[in-house]
Amino acid sequence: MDTLFVALALILAGGVAGLCLARQFTFMKLVTIATTSVGCGIGLVFTLPRLLSGVAVPAVSYRWLHIFTLSFNVDSIALFFLLPIFLISPLALLYSFNYLENREKKIRVGVNYFFFAVLVASMALVVMATNMITFILAWEVMSLSSFFLVIYDYQVKANRQAGYLYFIFAQGGAMFIFAAFALVYSHSASFDFAGFAAIDDFTKLIAFLLILIGCGSKAGILPLHIWLPYAHPAAPSHVSAVMSGVMIKIGIYGIVRFYLLLAPTAVIFGQITIALGILSGILGVVYALGQHDIKRLLAYHSVENIGIILLGLGVGMLGAASGNKTMAAFGFAGGLLHVLNHSLFKSLLFMGAGAVIQQTGTAMIDRLGGLLKKMPLTGKCFLVGSISISGLPPFNGFISEFLIYYGAFYGLSLSGVSFIFSALVIISLAIIGGLAATCFSKVVGIVFLGEPRDVSVPSASEAGSSMVLAQVVLAVTCFVIGVWPDYLVRAAFHASRAIPVIADFEVTRVMPIMVNVSRTAALFLFLLVVVTVVRKLFYVAKDSSQAGTWGCGFTQPTVRMQYTGTSYADSVLDFFRPFVKIQKKYAGINNIFPEGVSYDTHTEDIFASGLNRFIARPITSLLERLHWIQHGNIHLYIGYIVLTIMVLLCFL
Amino acid sequence: MESILSFCFAVLLAPLFPVVIQKVKAGFAGKQGPPWLINYYTVAKLLRKGSVYSTSTSFVFKLGPVVSFAASLLLLLFFPWVGIAPICSFHGDVIMLFYLMGMGRFFTILAALDTASPFEGMGAAREAFFSVLAEASIFCVLILFFRLTGSLSFAEFFVGTSVLNLMDAHGALLLLVVVALYIVMLTENSRVPVDDPATHLELTMIHEVMILDNSGPDLALIEIGSWFKLLFYSAFITSLINPFQADNVLVNGLFFYAVVTFIYITIGVVESITARYRMDVVPKFILTSSILVFLGTILTLGFI
Repeated sequence: MDTLFVALALILAGGVAGLCLARQFTFMKLVTIATTSVGCGIGLVFTLPRLLSGVAVPAVSYRWLHIFTLSFNVDSIALFFLLPIFLISPLALLYSFNYLENREKKIRVGVNYFFFAVLVASMALVVMATNMITFILAWEVMSLSSFFLVIYDYQVKANRQAGYLYFIFAQGGAMFIFAAFALVYSHSASFDFAGFAAIDDFTKLIAFLLILIGCGSKAGILPLHIWLPYAHPAAPSHVSAVMSGVMIKIGIYGIVRFYLLLAPTAVIFGQITIALGILSGILGVVYALGQHDIKRLLAYHSVENIGIILLGLGVGMLGAASGNKTMAAFGFAGGLLHVLNHSLFKSLLFMGAGAVIQQTGTAMIDRLGGLLKKMPLTGKCFLVGSISISGLPPFNGFISEFLIYYGAFYGLSLSGVSFIFSALVIISLAIIGGLAATCFSKVVGIVFLGEPRDVSVPSASEAGSSMVLAQVVLAVTCFVIGVWPDYLVRAAFHASRAIPVIADFEVTRVMPIMVNVSRTAALFLFLLVVVTVVRKLFYVAKDSSQAGTWGCGFTQPTVRMQYTGTSYADSVLDFFRPFVKIQKKYAGINNIFPEGVSYDTHTEDIFASGLNRFIARPITSLLERLHWIQHGNIHLYIGYIVLTIMVLLCFL
Repeated sequence: MESILSFCFAVLLAPLFPVVIQKVKAGFAGKQGPPWLINYYTVAKLLRKGSVYSTSTSFVFKLGPVVSFAASLLLLLFFPWVGIAPICSFHGDVIMLFYLMGMGRFFTILAALDTASPFEGMGAAREAFFSVLAEASIFCVLILFFRLTGSLSFAEFFVGTSVLNLMDAHGALLLLVVVALYIVMLTENSRVPVDDPATHLELTMIHEVMILDNSGPDLALIEIGSWFKLLFYSAFITSLINPFQADNVLVNGLFFYAVVTFIYITIGVVESITARYRMDVVPKFILTSSILVFLGTILTLGFI
């Protein structure tokens, strides 16, 4: 345990160094990145062996402010969630070395590194916390530090608004967690997590729902996802990588942790989780398809992947509640493994998007094109990330989706409603997988392939070497996990043994299946190599010439005629019309000599507009009527405070 | 040994069957149709040629045909031809195989977008959309099969004594599956009424327009891959409806391929007597298949 605290201290020391040394720009970056990465490295060295061996770590607790106790412990679930924190953060920092290059903003960069380190440390502390006080403290530090990371470019108004939106969701979510804790405290009169198991079934359900809202607003479960598509485009890309790759998973951690603590036995918990998973998964990817901004698109894909993770966890909960061990073990392990896999490929994709935006100065998909030739390594890594996130073998996204499928198929032997839920999980996973492949063939195909669509976009070149290195490491990891999943699958199953029902589940039962999966992946790669060689042989001593693309008889093609992301996604969006409103503005051809033709589409998120219309606006109009309370007169403010204290004293 | 032989036989025969469709269509039109070995000649011709590459393309364009071919070939390795155990098989392989097909499709789409041609982009968008719906149907079928047999691999479905067959107790449910699979087959293999491979206008094509820029051995790989895929789907349906079960492998094989030929004939008939649907009707057509199978799965709740 002390090793972990040393690691966290080093991470924080790196952050403080960023603040102190901000004037020596490059030196500061080197020191900060090195120190924080060493801290994360120590954390990894601590985490990995314990995860695979299953050795228990002793718990520790400290007194704080004389009346509170801060207590920490890491069980197998916590160890598993520490893995992405310590794995992704150093890579994001490595990426930032070339990404944050603006010397004029060196103080701001220093502050950014400080809050980054605080975020990493607080995420680890959330995972390690074992009582309410510790959890909520770490949770708040995590929310606040990430808020400051989001508003890095605070001079842009849209970024400040995105930051406030995130702040509202983070604090509003925390309120619900407070409510859940208060509910449990009122039954158990103890800040300890052990109190959760002692409450009655109905209160458990209420507490779980409160936790779902609280942690769900952090994780980005639909309809609490609204901050994601605003915060991610506003934040710098290495921050988006960590926030989307790691931080929103802490929300998932909260759900898993409190599910474990509540130890419910009813099927309703699994059913709610599955229903939310289906909603987030399918609508997340549909909204992603409609986006024009590459980082907003990726943000919606986080919603989709949170949906997949929830499907896995829901299958696990349903299996645990109905005593179906295979279903429970595969569901939980699949959900957990997807947490790790998503953190890998999503941070990879955000890094790629950041490199594209840095090089071209635009995030608009429909203005880009042909970047693979100008940024070959970034393009290839982005391709790998896209295949992985689409869940296609032989890359890592498939492995976790396969486990969830497997669990859900075993759920089909249940009867009645549980059967329907299992079947729905399978069908939605298939639809999500297909739509994700559609969406990422759109991103790769429009941004990296073809020809540049807008000549006014400046010519790009390969991103800085530290940025490329971070992406290559992540891309290779995605591939390695896809072909040799054994270790991580084992780790995921070990981690899910924290769930009492499947504590005795033999991991050896799973391994033959994984061996077969990796053999099939290897066979596929072997076939690929053989076919490539054979193809090469047929081209030996033949002249392959270059020419323009066949325009089907049209002799004057321009790059503006290429298919765009908007047109590519149009028919799919049309299919989901009740959920997606597309506003089209078309100023068409009216005169004999056409001029000023324009076409503009905007995909409306019905949850965001609904929230705006039914919650945000009524609240603001109500608050405007109370405006007279805020008059700026300091004497009366003191009067308010005195009045409040007097009223509160009456309750004591 | 039998497994390898049956696999090789399937691979070698795959180019022959599509001619059945062409012959039927020619018969309807009062023509003779191409020679029976036309596809072998085509492959030989394409392999002799070189290629012209668009200046817009990158390595992804060359990778497209290779990936889609490898995926289709792998599919044949896992399928039990004539009820003989396949070369490779494991519990859960169907999930992986349909995802590998998705991988092949992903690269076909990327290769099409790589050419910067608006026509190919259009084809790619349609292919991506329709295959999402077809995939949902396929997984509905897998749900029903798991419900009936508890198996998750082609070998478990079709090899041995307790195989899925129309003649068995659950035949009524499988009838729904057969209809659904037939629709999926037409979709996934770009046949009428979803797509018309023989149309003259690029704007109305789906699959054919995506490979406009491919030539030479690359085009040969794509063509062979699509014949494999069509043979796979018709063999899938054949395994479900084939009523003949003899002790002799050769007799079995004869019956099996006779039913396969019958399915190709029906495709030819469908292509001759129907027109391609309008693009906005196609999703409804494909959704019919998933609704049919989902109905089947719900029916299992009452019977099993």
